[in-house]
Amino acid sequence: MFGSVSTRESLTESETRWAGFEAEAMPHVPSLFRIAMWLTRNQADAEDLVQETLTEGLGSFHRFAHGTNCRAWLTSIMYHRQSKKKRASTRLHLVSDAEEFIAETVAFEPPTPQNVTDEEVLHALEHLPRAFQEVVVLADVEELSYKEIAAALDIPVGTVMSRISRGRKMLRAELASYAQAHGFGRAG
Amino acid sequence: MQCQEFREIADSYLGNELIVETNHAIISHLEYCAECRRELTARRELRARLRQAFLNASENQMRPEFTERLNTQLHARALGKRDTRAATFGTSRSSIRLGRKASLALAACLLLAMAIGFVAVRQRDSSVTSRESIETELAQSAVSDHRDCAVHFRLAEKPIDLEAAGRKYDPVYINLTKAVLMDQGGAMADAEFVEAHSCVLGGRRFAHIVFNYHGRLVSFLVTDSGDPNGTNGGGSSAIAQPQVNACSQFDGYQVSCFQTVRHAVFVVSDLSESENLALARALAPSVYAHITRTERAA
Repeated sequence: MFGSVSTRESLTESETRWAGFEAEAMPHVPSLFRIAMWLTRNQADAEDLVQETLTEGLGSFHRFAHGTNCRAWLTSIMYHRQSKKKRASTRLHLVSDAEEFIAETVAFEPPTPQNVTDEEVLHALEHLPRAFQEVVVLADVEELSYKEIAAALDIPVGTVMSRISRGRKMLRAELASYAQAHGFGRAG
Repeated sequence: MQCQEFREIADSYLGNELIVETNHAIISHLEYCAECRRELTARRELRARLRQAFLNASENQMRPEFTERLNTQLHARALGKRDTRAATFGTSRSSIRLGRKASLALAACLLLAMAIGFVAVRQRDSSVTSRESIETELAQSAVSDHRDCAVHFRLAEKPIDLEAAGRKYDPVYINLTKAVLMDQGGAMADAEFVEAHSCVLGGRRFAHIVFNYHGRLVSFLVTDSGDPNGTNGGGSSAIAQPQVNACSQFDGYQVSCFQTVRHAVFVVSDLSESENLALARALAPSVYAHITRTERAA
């Protein structure tokens, strides 16, 4: 008898937790999937990463500060999970100094060509150093704030700001050179 | 506000990251500066194009069955229920009736066996897919390096001396040039050495040897394949010779490649597929011997 009351209470508590999580977190699944696809470049891995992220998010949902950006919170979980995986599976590392140097050498800001396709835009993005790609994607595509990006990537806000600025500049240069090479593109 | 100052904070303005006073200063500046208005429009358009490209990309669309499965699994987990489709979530429930114990145990065994089988297949598939994905990514990186470094020479980071890079980053780079340029049974007779260095593209370091072959630029590239377990194609010590393949074609460039335990080796050019492959096969024995010898010593 006591057991069944306890079970009912527990179930109600679980249902409430699920309802909260469903309302706050689940609408962000498409966004999380896009980020996961960008991180893994593989559909099965992206699905796994989204599932792991949401499972972890569900388990620690009591720590989520209601009223803050749940998408940013989940993105942060996803990045931390992916970092752990990468550390475990590869000895590769990004050469940050070199990347900063590459960015510094993009001295001009060419106009954005108008007639490039979506594929060409994504292709141009691929040519950016990884560290610049990720801040540009999180800021421009997922529309996270500088502070949220800094928390997700575990880097200072100032670094986010400079990488976004340089990343966009490099993207413009890449698109302009692409348009020039293919003989099209209107100076915007 | 001056134009230079505007350009420095224009991105923050677009991201709504500035305080109200600065926003007002920008708006005031934009009212009389047509050049900065154009600049702001260009930056806004770039953001919109990028977002649109991401949202429209077919590979970024979720499979409906994944969405449904995810929702069911998470819901079951939240309520502490077993989800038979997930087979990984939930715990045994105590309300199983005694009369059905045997059949439920059998069903559980079957489910477990299916789950183990599923996981094993999934892991194998995932491992193969992951390895193929890494190989493709490496080959694309090699092509990008050939194009941006050898052909256009537009790498912003100055390449460094190959031998120095060998001492600092990867001992395989030391004497690699000799291994490439040594007499390959006449294969390199028509090749003219251009330069050897180590360069970085997209965070990946390459040993890069460039030569002219029948009037075309050819890149010979070696990079750490990031496989600490040595599960690459060249991993078995029983394999005395590399398996050289015409592995892909990107942006009009041919890529032939082979792997050692810890390195991926590429020959990239705009020669024909057969010419590129023949060249890679001619170079492979001495290079493979050099790299594997160094890897064993490391």
